[in-house]
Amino acid sequence: MTFEELTTYLTEKFGDKLELLETGKFEPFFLIKKENLVEICEAVKTDDKLLIDFLCNIGAIDTGEKFEIVYNLASIKKNIRFDLKLVMEYEGAEVDSVQEVWPCSNWYEREMWELYGINIKNHDNLTRFLLPDEWDQGHPMLKNWDAPDFKRMPEVE
Amino acid sequence: MGIIKKVPVYAEKFPGGGIITTSLNYIFSQSQASSLWYLLFGTACCAIELMATGASRYDFDRFGMIFRASPRQSDLIIAAGTITKKMAPRLKLLHDQMAEPRYVIAMGGCTVGGGPFYYDSYAVEKGIDHIVPVDVYIPGCPPRPESLFEGCLKLQEKVKLQKIQDWS
Repeated sequence: MTFEELTTYLTEKFGDKLELLETGKFEPFFLIKKENLVEICEAVKTDDKLLIDFLCNIGAIDTGEKFEIVYNLASIKKNIRFDLKLVMEYEGAEVDSVQEVWPCSNWYEREMWELYGINIKNHDNLTRFLLPDEWDQGHPMLKNWDAPDFKRMPEVE
Repeated sequence: MGIIKKVPVYAEKFPGGGIITTSLNYIFSQSQASSLWYLLFGTACCAIELMATGASRYDFDRFGMIFRASPRQSDLIIAAGTITKKMAPRLKLLHDQMAEPRYVIAMGGCTVGGGPFYYDSYAVEKGIDHIVPVDVYIPGCPPRPESLFEGCLKLQEKVKLQKIQDWS
């Protein structure tokens, strides 16, 4: 499927649950709502024309104003790639787990929970695994994070 | 007798050779400095240089440095690579497991003072001297094997100066 075919197919299938973003140059990039996340993920995995069997990444981004969460999806059988994006406020940031669809998302979501403080609903093992066990300094990937021994790179002119 | 001639301060020669008298200090420290076995502790790219140094081209063995995979058999820990805050307690544990006298070489910029991770890093320990006492610092990113040789020769000089009374 080419870029246009895939975009048309997905837009027809999901209607206004998807919104195509301009940012995707090589693969379509869709904005979705977090209520529809698990539903869309299950649908694209079981769809015969898509067969999305591979969750490459889950990326969380702190833009300085909002959280963005990006799901990079791929199908190895059909050679398709596209991305889903969620946008949410800092306050009560929470997202559904997709581990029922792709079990590998378990660790990605733990990492997201640990480094960004985004709560994951329906996750079966939300425990610390990247930071030291006795860590008590919050979520280090946030833009406004700070710690006593943490130094920002000085501005270079 | 070539070696004996070089150490007249410590060794007393007897005519005809075959027997020398010297101090226990000299024998112990000299032999210890000539067989510093180091613990394999490579955590990042410095470990590649350490491997190259241990292999046949640079041949670390000619200094009596042989790698050991157990802290119980090592005299020296060459911390080769970035030490993260999560790794720091493990480094401390391995250092504690080594029998005294024990030595530490901090190899590379990361272990000396954080290196490229000094700024903008939440995960890296800014110098391993916060965790274990360091004898020799070898800067570089990563240091070439020649730098590692120089550091080890410096450490051997230090070991040769020690007294067995100081062993705890």
